[in-house]
Amino acid sequence: MIDLESVGVAFDEFTAVADVDLGIDDGEFVTVVGPSGCGKTTVLRAIGGLQEPTTGRVTIDGRSPSVAQEAGDVGFVFQQHTLLPWKSALENVVFLRKMADKPPDREGARALLETMGLDGFEDARPAALSGGMKQRVAIARAIHLGADVLLMDEPFGELDEITRDELGVEIRSLWRRERKTIVFVTHSVPEAVFLGDRCVVMCDRPGRIEATFDIDLPGPRDTESLGSGAFQEQVAAVRRTLHESYD
Amino acid sequence: MTERISVAGSGAVYPVSALCAGVALWWALTALGDIPPFLLPAPDAVVARLAGNPELYLVNALFTLEKVVYGGAIGIGAGIALAAFVAYVPWFRRAVYPYLVTVRVLPKLAIAPLLLIYLGTGMTTAIVFVALITFFPLVLNTAAGLDRTPTAHHDLLRSVDAGPIERILYVDVPYAIPDIFAGLKQSVTLAVVGAVVAEWVVADNGLGFLILMGSENVRPDVMLAALVVLLLVGLALYGIVVLVQRRVHERLGLETLD
Ligand SMILES: Nc1ncnc2c1ncn2[C@@H]1O[C@H](COP(=O)(O)OP(=O)(O)OP(=O)(O)O)[C@@H](O)[C@H]1O
Ligand SMILES: [Mg+2]
Repeated sequence: MIDLESVGVAFDEFTAVADVDLGIDDGEFVTVVGPSGCGKTTVLRAIGGLQEPTTGRVTIDGRSPSVAQEAGDVGFVFQQHTLLPWKSALENVVFLRKMADKPPDREGARALLETMGLDGFEDARPAALSGGMKQRVAIARAIHLGADVLLMDEPFGELDEITRDELGVEIRSLWRRERKTIVFVTHSVPEAVFLGDRCVVMCDRPGRIEATFDIDLPGPRDTESLGSGAFQEQVAAVRRTLHESYD
Repeated sequence: MTERISVAGSGAVYPVSALCAGVALWWALTALGDIPPFLLPAPDAVVARLAGNPELYLVNALFTLEKVVYGGAIGIGAGIALAAFVAYVPWFRRAVYPYLVTVRVLPKLAIAPLLLIYLGTGMTTAIVFVALITFFPLVLNTAAGLDRTPTAHHDLLRSVDAGPIERILYVDVPYAIPDIFAGLKQSVTLAVVGAVVAEWVVADNGLGFLILMGSENVRPDVMLAALVVLLLVGLALYGIVVLVQRRVHERLGLETLD
């Protein structure tokens, strides 16, 4: 359970985020959507303990984020790619777990890369991987860490639409298998609706939560559901909220 | 800049031809020109000089090499250590970095006579001078290299509560490797320069001393022979650094650009 109590973050005089209240249950998939600069990254960093809130507080299972970090319970996937260029895909996946002082599990890492469609590329260095493959490795690395909480900051931001859809479906099935708590930041409304059980809409000046949508889509989520009427309606509703906040 | 130390491959054809042409020109100048041999000896006279008394050049090459190796090791070690302080101790960086950058414009050669007064005419002066001259390229390059890690990588390590030692060892240092080698290449070249200058000032032994003596006795053949040996020593040292760099870069999957 992740709990944000009236969290605010200020950089000097500038209030980036104000008064964010949010509770996220174990195993929930929450997406955060909003315009550029509205404070999505700042909120995610506050949850993961990379940014100390100026006001309010964040807890993960009742502990402070830094305690959760120590226990290796926070898995980050950053927008910029953060694979070490001199390590192979497999070495990169193994590396983070090692840095977290958790017992090594090379075979587990290998198997995970395989399920993520990277078999045959375990020994390839990042330079030899496509953008989509690199993000797959970064996601595998966060999962292999064994953290209960996965924080993803626009992980598909630099990918083409086809790859985004594909990875979106994969993330969903991964989440069903692994039952992690996922907070997923994006500026794409369709992506937020497709992925999340709950979609948090943020606005800026100052960054805050404008509305929260429970996403209810019938049937399993695959590329088919992107065309369904229920999906389109939800997307339209979220869009409306985003645009209304600017009137 | 491309450097191909190996003579194999078609890439070597042009430089080797140029070298042959240069030596041929030198030889033609001495054979056909009206230059007295005591001013510009023919290439074969220089080779004969080397072959006639190999111990002299070998012994002095070893003296020079000794200064280069000891001084270089100290300068490189101290340079990397100071770079670590510059990179990781903010107040130290603020206090010292501006001077490290400024001192670059100071011709270090001008310090040699001063060292002579402080340290005397022994080996120490030469070693300290070589250390001093090799130190600067390493500090500046290494410090810049240790700064190169993208901040997101630091965030990644923080997110699993990894300590600074782990971060430096596993992330910052590998990122700094290309810069460290860039510094090493500059240092190793300067080390030879430094050793020769020290030998001129201290005037005890070594290839620099041999050149100095050759000059005083107007013996260009001895000077040229010593220069050839000096060139070989410099090339060998540089070649070693390049080879190690290739190996390390290969292991890290980095491209060796220069
Ligand atoms: N370290 C910082 N120092 C000063 N200002 C900052 C800092 N980090 C973020 N900000 C400011 O806080 C605001 C929110 O930034 P944040 O990165 O959280 O936005 P975002 O919603 O993630 O945007 P994007 O979608 O473009 O990534 C921005 O106006 C930004 O300029
Ligand atoms: Mg952001």
